[in-house]
Amino acid sequence: MSKIPQQVIPIIIILMVVVGAFIAARNIFVPESFGEQGHFRTEAIQENMDLEQVYAGADACYDCHDDIVETKSGSYHKGVACEVCHGPALQHIDAPDEFTPRAPRERGYCPLCHGYNPSRPSGFPQIIAERHNPGKACMSCHNPHNPLLPHAPEECAACHRDIASVKILSHHATLPCTQCHTIEKGHKSSPKFTKAHKPTDNSTCEYCHNKGSNGNKLAPKINAEEHSDRYLCWDCHYPHYPEAY
Amino acid sequence: MFYSIISPLLNSMPGLSGYVFPNEYELHWSILIVIYPYLTGLVAGAFILASLERVFKVSALKPIYRLSLLTALAFMIIAPLPLLAHLGHPERSFEMFLTPHTASAMAMFGFVYAWYLMVVLLLEIWFDYRKDIVIWSNEKKGVVKYFYKLLTLGATDISDKAVAFDHKIGRVITIIGIPSAFLLHGYVGFIFGSIKANPWWSSVLIPIVFLFSAIVSGIALMLIVYMITSMVRWTKMSMKCLNKLAEFLLYAMLIDFSLETLDFIHRLYESEESISILSEMISSRLFISLIITQIIIGSLIPMLGLVFGRFGKLPDELRRMIYFISAILVQVGIFSTRWNVVIGGQLFSKSLRGLTTYKLDIFGIEGLFVAIALLVAPIGILWVLTKILPPWNEMGAVQKDIEKMSSSESA
Repeated sequence: MSKIPQQVIPIIIILMVVVGAFIAARNIFVPESFGEQGHFRTEAIQENMDLEQVYAGADACYDCHDDIVETKSGSYHKGVACEVCHGPALQHIDAPDEFTPRAPRERGYCPLCHGYNPSRPSGFPQIIAERHNPGKACMSCHNPHNPLLPHAPEECAACHRDIASVKILSHHATLPCTQCHTIEKGHKSSPKFTKAHKPTDNSTCEYCHNKGSNGNKLAPKINAEEHSDRYLCWDCHYPHYPEAY
Repeated sequence: MFYSIISPLLNSMPGLSGYVFPNEYELHWSILIVIYPYLTGLVAGAFILASLERVFKVSALKPIYRLSLLTALAFMIIAPLPLLAHLGHPERSFEMFLTPHTASAMAMFGFVYAWYLMVVLLLEIWFDYRKDIVIWSNEKKGVVKYFYKLLTLGATDISDKAVAFDHKIGRVITIIGIPSAFLLHGYVGFIFGSIKANPWWSSVLIPIVFLFSAIVSGIALMLIVYMITSMVRWTKMSMKCLNKLAEFLLYAMLIDFSLETLDFIHRLYESEESISILSEMISSRLFISLIITQIIIGSLIPMLGLVFGRFGKLPDELRRMIYFISAILVQVGIFSTRWNVVIGGQLFSKSLRGLTTYKLDIFGIEGLFVAIALLVAPIGILWVLTKILPPWNEMGAVQKDIEKMSSSESA
């Protein structure tokens, strides 16, 4: 003992106190079931299971509303569960007459998914609610359980809003989409099965832009043989906004 | 390329250009996360500077040895506060210690921090001051006397043998402290460098760059603190010490600047798909804070100043002024380094097609005033620490040496 310098003793004591306090704190504060099955409290699973359930799950709806299920199962909304729009409905399952799930009819509801947002994929039906039949309820034209369009879209922009919004700012604004794309008849009614065709070679652009071509006389001209013949036009120029590059 | 196409569309969203995912428009890591590596870097830098005197026996730095330790402690106490303020719920932070997840670098940092604060800094300061504390506990009167008595922790032996032991153990702690300081700030760089989804951060060089910029900022800080404290106390500064500090600062800056340039060239040469958006970010959003502030004002000008000030034939007054201005510029430069890393890493979209803007709050927990308070607080703590443990006492003992040094220099 005498060999240990005096000043080391309080340090050792403090160290022991700190380590002791740490061990004690772990014993007091760490819940008993912590770490049994992983880095969490095992009891938390039971606590979550004990929470009051509010959702019934889509299968429960099928028992009574088989007609709607049948309609919906063949539609574009087949992947959207009933309670996404109708809200939690377990109470309705338990007491169908006393509790009726909500049926959103206000115009603000459908645009939650179908309002225009540039991060949504091209082709996903998107509208600008302020311009799309203002004041009219969505359901007056679209059946939410089978949301086929009341008529084939008149403009490509109905689905390809992102491209249309860019094109309208460019010198190509006045060109119809069909100037470059061949659209087969079925594309508007079932776009997933009948794709629109895209140009595959430079001749589409050269129709207007090649020197001496028959297309638009005012379009900027190039000599197609000398102008980067190894590349496709859209390797460098974005056709929907060609001024950008 | 794509951002220039659709940018006209997005003029209605201020500060946004190109395509940015909806959850990237607003930055999640604010100025508080800028301050955190800045403060931690100052701690590590100040400590490494102190260790130069202790371990490598750079006697010219003797006047600032204790001051560096106290500065490191003052900044260390505040260093985790920006994180606590940013995360909210500081009352839960202790859970990180009680049930740490070994796969989480953040959780492990708690232990690195605790180790560094308790085992390295506090122990080293205590052993270094022990003899003085015992003397003060005998000399002082009233409550102060008992305060110092408490600080002695009951160890009142100040025989030559005991003091020699203090020195010996202090040296051992410093030797342990150097890798600990490297670990402390290397870890901060690691946190950013290991985020592989972010091309601005993901680089193995980041921890090393952070470490050297920490050393740079620590030395510059000590230069400033030493000059200001000497001026306030009307004492003569050791020109030898200042020259040595300036030299070390210059060398550390050269290494730091080379490493950062290496990182930059490496990125350019690798030319991954992110390079075009990063170039766009550097030439637009980060132009002022990276090119102007960090590189020109914060690195090149002070480096030139230090070369000129240290190796030019100048009168001491001018030299001191050049050192002081250079050190201030270095602080500005290092702060913008942290800014460019933390904020820069969030300004570009992970789609690599667009840029957003950071708008600093003025009020509120993530605001400018909180940031200023967190930057000023360590200075207040340092003032209190120098009242409790005056680092100049030893300087009184070496004052003669300093005067001797100064006279030999002028001769």
